[in-house]
Amino acid sequence: MNAISPNPSRAYDLNFARYVYENIDGGERLRMCMQCGACSGSCPIGQQMDHGPRKLFMMIRAGMKEAVLTSNTIWNCVSCYNCVVRCPRKVPITYILHDLANLAVREGFDAAKKADNARFAKAFMWSARKYGRTDERLVTGIYYFSFGLLEGMKRGMGNQKIALNMIKTKRMHLGMPHAIKAKDELQNILAKAQEIQDRHGKGA
Amino acid sequence: MSDKPKSQTVLVVGGGIGGISAALEAAECGAEVVLIEKAPTLGGRVAALNRYFPKMCHPTCGLEINYQRIKKNPRIKVFTMAEVSGISGSKGDYTVTVTTTPRHVTPACTACGDCAKVAASEVADPFNYGLAKMKAAYLPHAMAFPMRYVVDPSVVGTPEGQAIKAACKVEAINLDEKPESFALQVGAVIWATGWKPYDPKNLTMYRHGEIADVITNVEMERLASHDGPTKGHILKPSSGEAPKKVALIQCAGSRDLNHLAYCSRICCLASMKHAAYVREQYPEAEVDIYYIDIRAHDKLEAFYQKAKADPGIRWIKSKPSRIEKGASGEPVVCGENTLSREVYANAYDLVVLATGMQASAQPPAGAQLDDYGFVVSEEGVFGAGVATGPLDVSMSVQSATAAALRAVQAVRS
Ligand SMILES: Cc1cc2nc3c(=O)[nH]c(=O)nc-3n(C[C@H](O)[C@H](O)[C@H](O)COP(=O)(O)OP(=O)(O)OC[C@H]3O[C@@H](n4cnc5c(N)ncnc54)[C@H](O)[C@@H]3O)c2cc1C
Ligand code: SF4
Ligand code: SF4
Ligand code: SF4
Ligand code: SF4
Repeated sequence: MNAISPNPSRAYDLNFARYVYENIDGGERLRMCMQCGACSGSCPIGQQMDHGPRKLFMMIRAGMKEAVLTSNTIWNCVSCYNCVVRCPRKVPITYILHDLANLAVREGFDAAKKADNARFAKAFMWSARKYGRTDERLVTGIYYFSFGLLEGMKRGMGNQKIALNMIKTKRMHLGMPHAIKAKDELQNILAKAQEIQDRHGKGA
Repeated sequence: MSDKPKSQTVLVVGGGIGGISAALEAAECGAEVVLIEKAPTLGGRVAALNRYFPKMCHPTCGLEINYQRIKKNPRIKVFTMAEVSGISGSKGDYTVTVTTTPRHVTPACTACGDCAKVAASEVADPFNYGLAKMKAAYLPHAMAFPMRYVVDPSVVGTPEGQAIKAACKVEAINLDEKPESFALQVGAVIWATGWKPYDPKNLTMYRHGEIADVITNVEMERLASHDGPTKGHILKPSSGEAPKKVALIQCAGSRDLNHLAYCSRICCLASMKHAAYVREQYPEAEVDIYYIDIRAHDKLEAFYQKAKADPGIRWIKSKPSRIEKGASGEPVVCGENTLSREVYANAYDLVVLATGMQASAQPPAGAQLDDYGFVVSEEGVFGAGVATGPLDVSMSVQSATAAALRAVQAVRS
């Protein structure tokens, strides 16, 4: 088994590519990437990514662990699957990006923890675990205030109009958060998913 | 091997450059040869090329020499418009059933063309890959062998058919001809059934058929040919104007697990040839070649170096992700330049898809095929030319010579 370098401050890890091939979801097919660029050329978010999937995959091969795990590419993917359907090597690009994001958090990279989408994902999972659904007010609240009190209030005020419209059209409700009926069953499912992911992450 | 082969005849299926070469080599070694061709003429796909790399000569010369060799060799029997419908037996003793489609024109034809003059209806022209139509009485192309017309079955039993028949002064037209079947005893079989262009309809992101000025490489060969639909002028299909900016997209359907998993081997060189066609006709024109990596196989690196020295050709390392339709209907090629990481959207007058070579439409009856549909040679049954995998003309001829040698050994031992 390959262990990723325990020292996150090390920029390069010559073992990184092998680690990704063996431990990241879909990573075994990454070996097949031929750097054609069809993925980055297909990506609707491409302009908002620092590297884009193709270059990121080359950086993995080059062992640029830190640069990969602090990149915004792994967070900005919106799972549209444009790249996946066009990849001539059937690389499951979307899975790989998402699992790299997970790895970046697990490895404790500051950039990963502070990434916009990481904050949102955290808020989302909190709500999903607690209520079995997303409560718009709580998820946005937790997400906004993760940037600090002042910033949270600023963002909240800035989006007041949208919030009111959502209430009007019943997309957001007032009062106590609703939980789903069989919350414990969902929690079992989530626990199982976590278990599978942990096992997968260890190359089992 | 102790059993003497029962038949010493070699059957060659497919009359392209591969099949023609195999038939000639076997016959010139003294074997009796039957050559079966599905189309009304020999020549196969090379007859539809404008010029050959690497020497940029015309396919006519190569074919003409081979036709002369066939005519001079009494050991070769040629059947056109014929296909193998069944095969049984084993090495040295095969029984092959051949089915023929009526040509409706007998060997008395002098190719005068009078019948075509009175034909009114038009039929699809496979030689021009659908870029043009032809009369219902036609010569498949100028380099046809045999040099004999064909009457399309659609006019049989119509007044037009009668008029076509009446136009023939030498009474070479027989509208009553029916499909026929006959059996052959042969000792060895060579499959030389060739290839077809990968269907660009499958490449939905490149929108061939939807954007008029997106064409394929085989269509480019026809546009550049003097006997093609534009008399050799490379023109935009949408407007008939000369293109100023041309894009060539490599690996269109090849090296792609969603399409053909293999490299088609010839399309990099074919595109360099197409860049040369454009640059010769329009010295001011710019040509951009989009590629994953350039594969100029074998001894052909020099051809690549020559293309690289042309300042009018730009090389863009990128597999374009899609083609979009611009404001005036022009093709806009989109993707990521993998050297600069620039995400581009470049408009062109003409885009040529370098579609790959797929094994011929019908998998040959009785032959063993690999995962991609190409023929695997075995005892008594051999592959030649592109039927065995993507090859250029000279490699097809080499593979045909090898197949002929093995077939001759099979019928003699
Ligand atoms: C765009 C393009 C450009 C190219 N340019 C060049 C070039 O410049 N130089 C070069 O060296 N090569 C070039 N090539 C490659 C060249 O076309 C092939 O090497 C050549 O056609 C191979 O000949 P073949 O006889 O094996 O196959 P084909 O030419 O396909 O001939 C096969 C023959 O078999 C017949 N047939 C098929 N099935 C049956 C059946 N069931 N029964 C009876 N008959 C059948 C077909 O009708 C056909 O006549 C190019 C290819 C492409 C795609
Ligand atoms: S599309 Fe696939 S093969 Fe091409 S660069 Fe992206 S991941 Fe690699
Ligand atoms: S799935 Fe992600 S990486 Fe792929 S094209 Fe969509 S946004 Fe881009
Ligand atoms: S079929 Fe008759 S009319 Fe037609 S080309 Fe031949 S000889 Fe001439
Ligand atoms: S020869 Fe060139 S264009 Fe053709 S499949 Fe191979 S790499 Fe692609």
